[in-house]
Amino acid sequence: MAKIEVVNVTKRFGKFTALNNVNLEIKDNEFFVLFGPAGAGKTTLLNNVAGIQIPEEGLIRFNGEIMNKIDPAHRNVAMVFENYALYPNLTVYENIASPLRSPLYKKDNATVDREVHRVAELLRIDHLLERLPSQISNGQKQRVAIGRALVRDPNVFLMDEPLAHLDAKLRHYMRSELKEMQSSFNTTCIYVTHDFLEAVSLGDRIAIINEGSIVQVGTREEVYYTPCNEFVAALVGEPEINLVDGRLFAENGKYYVEVLEKGYLLPLPESSGIIRKLVDSGVNEYHIGFRPNNVRYTFEKKDGLLKGTVYSFESIGNKAVLIAKIGDKFVRMIAPNDLKVRLDQAVYVELPIHKAIFFDAQTTRFIGTSDEAAIYRLVQEQLSKGVQ
Amino acid sequence: MKRKRIVGNAVKNGLLALYAIFALFPLFWMVLISFKSDAQMFNTTFIFDPTLENYDAVLLRTDYFKYFLDSIIVSVVAVLISVLAGVPAAYALARYNFKKKESLAFTILSFRFAPEILVVLPLFMIYQKIGLYDTYFGLIWVYQLITMPLLIWVIRGYFEDISVEIEHAAQVDGYSWWQVFLKRLLPLIKPGLVSASLLAFIFAWNNFTFPLMLSGTHVETITVASLKYIASDTVHYGQMAVAATVSALPAVIFALLIQKHLVRGLSFGAVKG
Repeated sequence: MAKIEVVNVTKRFGKFTALNNVNLEIKDNEFFVLFGPAGAGKTTLLNNVAGIQIPEEGLIRFNGEIMNKIDPAHRNVAMVFENYALYPNLTVYENIASPLRSPLYKKDNATVDREVHRVAELLRIDHLLERLPSQISNGQKQRVAIGRALVRDPNVFLMDEPLAHLDAKLRHYMRSELKEMQSSFNTTCIYVTHDFLEAVSLGDRIAIINEGSIVQVGTREEVYYTPCNEFVAALVGEPEINLVDGRLFAENGKYYVEVLEKGYLLPLPESSGIIRKLVDSGVNEYHIGFRPNNVRYTFEKKDGLLKGTVYSFESIGNKAVLIAKIGDKFVRMIAPNDLKVRLDQAVYVELPIHKAIFFDAQTTRFIGTSDEAAIYRLVQEQLSKGVQ
Repeated sequence: MKRKRIVGNAVKNGLLALYAIFALFPLFWMVLISFKSDAQMFNTTFIFDPTLENYDAVLLRTDYFKYFLDSIIVSVVAVLISVLAGVPAAYALARYNFKKKESLAFTILSFRFAPEILVVLPLFMIYQKIGLYDTYFGLIWVYQLITMPLLIWVIRGYFEDISVEIEHAAQVDGYSWWQVFLKRLLPLIKPGLVSASLLAFIFAWNNFTFPLMLSGTHVETITVASLKYIASDTVHYGQMAVAATVSALPAVIFALLIQKHLVRGLSFGAVKG
């Protein structure tokens, strides 16, 4: 129930800069996801919001109030720690009840009992209440840690990879449960994860963080369709986006990009405005991103397609990833699970130029996308926000 | 197979029994001679006329209980001070990073390296000069050399085993630093605290060199006072045995009371959560 602002926050550990001039504004009641690779500074940022660490520079504000000098206890935040941080000498019940027994947030025994049981039922750990943390599994410990946060009514929930140790089924269940809870509780939540699926399924907005700096903040559509650089494009999406070298090529007033093989030209779609963006950017060497789920393939010889060989075929649950080797480059694509395929078999690949994302080959920054539908959706989204 | 196991068990138990006899015999001997009269001391072994004369002489006719009390005061207060100062010191060494941290920790440990006899002479001179000679405070102070390093090093290991996130979690839960320390950390270090304190107490209780040199007639610990039974003409072995037997009792009683903490407490870290 608070708006959280992080203003110019820099946090150093000795000579190492863990957070470098981070600026974020997290709206009231927002489910905000911090998404980034290991060591990016996600946990450090949470610790700074919680008050466990204090930034060397910058401000943390809750509802406009500067919190830098307020200790963690008085910030009224609930936090789920990545390594659970359960009290080993207390039972599961007492662990969950701990915040409600603290001098600051004390509740009477009846309330404590009711709340603990409500949360334990929600998290499906009500049969473990009398056990000690050493007597339950890691997934159960993680749920106890979540429970200790959920019994409270805090300014903000801070969750540090709370689902990392759960099995797939339970993770799916908890994901929807958390989302549900958050919307019914009306509470701000900052959620740290390195799992792309969690990030897009939970986050109202996603902040992508790398090496202590915020790279991009946006909705899941924004970071997916218009990633601000190659790093974001590669991080968002599973399997990873294909990035191929490309060069702008003009002939008879028509524009093409040359990709992968010399003389292999893809005509740029004229209506999307991408030609204009590419020409205006003054750059003509690109890295062009093609999402694996858009790449088409066939095993029959067809003109105008890139010829390659099957390099690998790997099932990932209900679908499979097919990797084709074209020249010395690899192209990933999604294939049905039951596809009959031999390694080193010839495969013909069509790169979807009307759904491509263009990056400056030098700076790796985003130039534009040829995906009209995506642009249209994003504009609609912006407009609807504007109306609100 | 079965026969082999029986033989194996018999050998094992036999060896253990042998060791038990080896370890306990001196104690048994001490108790035995405490019941012997001076006359029978040298010409009997196991068969003699048991007498309580030695007990009567030591406990009732000398200041034995005064020495006993002195020992208790000096040892208990020394351990208490070590706990009060040592637990925060151990916490600081485990949690905070500061310059020369390891050197400081090593210096504290090194107090246990030097033989007491090495430092006791200069200390004797200093104590005489500054008026600490033959005072409770002086002995308690010097006993810190024995009790403090032990306590700090054991407790430090305990604090290091507690993940720092547990403290953070407790702070976020709404506890102030002191409440975190008392309600969340203290229960976790308790086994270590109890066993290290007991061990420190035993070391302090048994110490001989410091009270011998640094105290006189005002404060006399039991270890030093036991020497009084060596008279100028004869050594009263029976009375010495009584003094030693009784003085061994507090440590034995404490150890039995907290036996379950003792070995586990010194060898295990805190239970990981």
